[in-house]
Amino acid sequence: MSLYRTALPIALVAILFASSRVALAETYTPGQRIDARYGDFAKAFLETHCVDCHGEFDPEGDLSLHDLGPVEEVNADTWRSVWAQVKLKEMPPQDEEQPHVVDRLRFSDWIVGELSRVLEDKGGFFDHLDPNKGNFVDHDLLFGPLPDGIQLAPASTPARIWRVTPQEHITRLNELINAEPAFNPEMPGLRTHGDAVPTNHGGELKLYFGTDRIIKWQGGTVAYATSVKSVPAVLSTARDHGLENYPDFYTVNSAEATQIMSVAGDILRYMAEGPLSIANPEQITDDPNSYKMEGDIRGLPTALVYSTKVVRPITPVYDLLDEEGVTDERLRAAVDFLYEALTFRPPSEQESDAYVAIVKQSISKLGKKDGAVLGLSAIFLDRDALFRPELVEKGQPDRHGRVMMQDWELGLAVNHALRYIQPDEELRKAIVEGRMRTREDVRREVQRMLADDSIRKPRILRFFRDYFDYDRAGYICKDSKALADTGVSNRGTAHYRAMFDATASTDRLIELILKEDKDVLKELLTTNRVVATNADNVYFGRKRTDEERSEAVAEAKRAVAKATKEADAALEAAKTELSELEQFLDVHPEETRKRKGELAEKKRAVTTAQRKFDAATKKQKSNSNHAVEEAVLSGDRIYARVSRRSFGNGSMKPDRILATVPEGQRLGILTHPSWLVSHSDAMDNHAIRRGRWIRERLLGGGIPDVPITVDAMLPDEPQRTLRERMRVTRESYCATCHHKMDPLGLPFEMFNHAGVYREVELGKPVDTTGEIIDSGDPTLDGEVANAIEMIKRIAESERVEQVFVRHAFRFWIGRNETLNDAPVLQEAFHAYQDNGGSMKALLTSLLTSDAFLYRTKSGRLVAESK
Amino acid sequence: MLNRRNLLQGMAAGVGAAFGTPLIPNQLMASPVSNTTRKRVIFFMQNQGFDPKTCIPTGMSSSGSLAKAKLPEPINALEPYKDRLHIINGLHGMHTSPSHSAFFGALGGYRGSDGVPPSGPTIDYQLSRALPETLLPHLCIGMDSIENMTTKPTLATLSASGAGQPIFMHSNPNHLYQMLYGGIASGEIRRQHEARSSVMSQIERLAAAKDHALSKSDKLRYDQYVQGFQEVNGLRDRLASVSDHLRKFAPTVDTRYTNPEFETDWHDVLLDLGISALTSGITNTLTIGSGRGEIFGAWKGLGIEQQGHNLGHMDQPDNPIWIKIRQYNSRMLVRIMEALESVPEGSGTMMDHTLVVYTSNNADKQHTNGANWPVMLLGDLDGAFKTGCFTQLDGKRPINALYTSLLRAAGQNLDRFNMTETLAKKYDDATGPLKEVMA
Repeated sequence: MSLYRTALPIALVAILFASSRVALAETYTPGQRIDARYGDFAKAFLETHCVDCHGEFDPEGDLSLHDLGPVEEVNADTWRSVWAQVKLKEMPPQDEEQPHVVDRLRFSDWIVGELSRVLEDKGGFFDHLDPNKGNFVDHDLLFGPLPDGIQLAPASTPARIWRVTPQEHITRLNELINAEPAFNPEMPGLRTHGDAVPTNHGGELKLYFGTDRIIKWQGGTVAYATSVKSVPAVLSTARDHGLENYPDFYTVNSAEATQIMSVAGDILRYMAEGPLSIANPEQITDDPNSYKMEGDIRGLPTALVYSTKVVRPITPVYDLLDEEGVTDERLRAAVDFLYEALTFRPPSEQESDAYVAIVKQSISKLGKKDGAVLGLSAIFLDRDALFRPELVEKGQPDRHGRVMMQDWELGLAVNHALRYIQPDEELRKAIVEGRMRTREDVRREVQRMLADDSIRKPRILRFFRDYFDYDRAGYICKDSKALADTGVSNRGTAHYRAMFDATASTDRLIELILKEDKDVLKELLTTNRVVATNADNVYFGRKRTDEERSEAVAEAKRAVAKATKEADAALEAAKTELSELEQFLDVHPEETRKRKGELAEKKRAVTTAQRKFDAATKKQKSNSNHAVEEAVLSGDRIYARVSRRSFGNGSMKPDRILATVPEGQRLGILTHPSWLVSHSDAMDNHAIRRGRWIRERLLGGGIPDVPITVDAMLPDEPQRTLRERMRVTRESYCATCHHKMDPLGLPFEMFNHAGVYREVELGKPVDTTGEIIDSGDPTLDGEVANAIEMIKRIAESERVEQVFVRHAFRFWIGRNETLNDAPVLQEAFHAYQDNGGSMKALLTSLLTSDAFLYRTKSGRLVAESK
Repeated sequence: MLNRRNLLQGMAAGVGAAFGTPLIPNQLMASPVSNTTRKRVIFFMQNQGFDPKTCIPTGMSSSGSLAKAKLPEPINALEPYKDRLHIINGLHGMHTSPSHSAFFGALGGYRGSDGVPPSGPTIDYQLSRALPETLLPHLCIGMDSIENMTTKPTLATLSASGAGQPIFMHSNPNHLYQMLYGGIASGEIRRQHEARSSVMSQIERLAAAKDHALSKSDKLRYDQYVQGFQEVNGLRDRLASVSDHLRKFAPTVDTRYTNPEFETDWHDVLLDLGISALTSGITNTLTIGSGRGEIFGAWKGLGIEQQGHNLGHMDQPDNPIWIKIRQYNSRMLVRIMEALESVPEGSGTMMDHTLVVYTSNNADKQHTNGANWPVMLLGDLDGAFKTGCFTQLDGKRPINALYTSLLRAAGQNLDRFNMTETLAKKYDDATGPLKEVMA
């Protein structure tokens, strides 16, 4: 602990004395350009530390570096590999003499600078900026004391524009046409205004039109889905694991722009006319029977009935198009409203004028309605509707060249850190009144928003999705037979729907833990709680052995036979009683009136007994799942945020229970099917991916890219376990990297690839052992019996919490950390730790840090060393 | 993380008509007027399944020539073209979950289902990139009930440029005409075209004006956004600059566009537009979604009163309704071939350098496990494919193998399309193209 406590003051001292030390040749500032030629600098490093082993003759790994030469396009791959190995301290090997820490850093920076220069017009070099390589920055230097000779620059982030994500974009558009329900503190889990538009039952992100007014439809759920107007997300993303959205990842291409323009027209028409823009007048009625659907029209837009109640937001766009004629006032109101709805800030006078002119021009060409729709569509393509600028065009640089964001830029940065919709009234007021200019202003707003549950903060949940990667399970295509072998249902889309439900359940569990805000990471890793659906009784169950399964089948047969026999006897008895009474009444008809009630009762008894008998017989024929001993999950009712409004009766159901996981079988969300299946493949578990996740996201280790010479295939041997097939990764060439991952992933073999707990695999006790190797925290290292033991050990680690903080930094600051960010990271970590593992404290610290508040236009000081 | 290649890939992803690199007009329109040999592929995807009995000549149970065979009634319109026909039975798509529809999985060769986003690029998109470049590398048109085409004039269910990147198909012929031929149109279409052009130009101007204060890397990224508008606007200009050429191929707008009596009027004119995009050389890949990849659809213009889901519940063989639909498809295929044959290209006609792939987005029938996925090929794509024959496969090779064959014919060197070795062990008993269909 004391080690870390001292690190911050040391770093600050380094900053304070920056001006006196900067002139010294031996001082090193991270990110500063290394102006040195290969022959004067890098060659000596290679000769001192590399060439002994990687020389001309019989070089290690068949890699010669003696004649590598300056960085050029032809040797860029080799230099890239050298950079990764040196940066990760993989090389020189630990038993060799190590370069001084500053020499290592300078050498790494030099390579980055040279690769960036040489590859500038050849696709560029971005490895050091990739979030998957964020851990390449030495953890101990970030959180421990800095050696002499390192001078940190004050933290800041390059000025930039940040393209909105598909989910942000859809949620933003959704605000224009759908009024989401207000937050209900009695049912806090239900999807509400400000939550992200969720993916649907199949995992597709779509914007739906008018579903809040549909009161009747013909056909089943698929017919409903086809007949309802919807448009899929237009903006694309290329990543589906890890941090997906750094500012420099994406742009908007011409195909996307064209489609946005088309979607804009649909949205504007719906804003103006509601369902009338997508349905015939007779379909809009509160008496659904008054609209006659003739014949089979399933799947057609005419198979829907909309209520007359107006629920969409009524906006100045409606006013403009509803009123006769066009007035300047109405037109400008519509433009200004739409501009702010799409960019989250009011337009400047110049911007407003420009769009008013476009709309006027369009109206003059096409008439009012078509012209207004076309002209207003242009706003959907404004830069600030698709990119969020952090350009610090206002404000004076401080002596380090940093400019603090202010007003709308700062307000929107804070808003974006937590939300997908426009700033709430208080934040907007603060921006407009000039109260978003200081660190304290930010602290005030962040703390206010974090304290208010009714202000939904979907971006926090997004972080946990990105960090844990538990939201991929429904997208992992399973082989049908392999899925059936796990013991879960492989019928239709049952498994995939269960997985999308599981994602929503894990979302909700995380929200509950965030609500408690106590030891958040540790609790996520070790909670014994589960938010569950009915299907989870199987997914959280235990796979039976073949013998147990046979016994279960036999037992079920016996039980059914017994129940059938009893039901049969009861039926016969009831029939006999009825028959006797009927015979009696045949003989004594005068008694009929008197015993009418008794006769009716005996008939009912026969009917009831017959029903029970039929049920028992049916059970005899039923194909129950005996492959899994179901978990007995029970608990209080709870809700999860799902796409209930988009898919009629087939919607995902929000209903859940908060239950306790089977003891000894599960611990924390890494043992939940949502995470396990997300880290599996079509046929089996993916121990390497799981291990890599533990290595990178918890232990803070880095894994170099797979060499292109590696044919990454496990042998196809269905009668061998995954562990046995992974023998190929233990061979010397692969083991260098795989020993960092495989022993961390194999303990999860206690679950099969549907996430069902198992004790036996291929007829033998499953081997769940593993090992934590070279974690960077000696107290963690050592063998583990299974995933639960490993998780328990890891969850106690301070280093693991620091790694968590590093990932939070990347997500909220939008870039990889550099050594210059060490003070920010340490402060954030202490905020988290000193407040009992509080996510709110961590967030407040990050969002009031220099890295979040300040921008540099030159990119000279930090991160963007290219 | 962005480069020129990414940009081009991105630009090609999205609206059914994706924009390629800016080409000078004479390069762009090389196909009909120069000696350059181009290639093109058309995918015709009829929904509700393609029952093999509706295409395999009676009595043919093993591979052989079609020369002496008589094509079944549903496809008898193809009889004069059977020397160019290749009927393939016995591919499978069990990994695509095709019951009701495999959606993106039908052309992607991966699991698809209702509401499931694409998990990778589809074959039509990949081919559009592999074939000699045209102005719009890829055009998708979708045919459905008139209500669906009006309410949802664009829809994405079949084609994709990558994971989570659907490509939209066009279903309103007025919109599509405006996009392709607005510059040579008159009246309302011209007015709409001009107004839209004006707005897009102003959007480009506004976007370009906001590129100040950006860092070098951000500017590169932002420039790509601005260039997107330049591409859209440039496309218009380039189309305008070859307007004389386009006039030769553009269909005539009639009342079927503006006042269709049946949905089949729009189906017909959408096909006209698709054909014209091929014959004029604007596009190299056309995807036709008859039923738009879903489980509904209507063909009332053929005298079929029933529509939608029930059509899929019927057995197709000897069913008068399905005979009408399949005959209608066949006539469309004939129209495509006749149009392409009428345009000289190289030493022959366009059809010589073309392949039509006719199949369904849900294998052989609506409720299917995909164990059999019948396909018809028409044409030989410059001699790359065998023709005039029926091929019976053993059900052990997936549709991905056919798609691999298509990409091989387009000059791509690959052994598998969208299938990992792990899955291939389960679903493919060979590697590389489908040798039974390659010439």
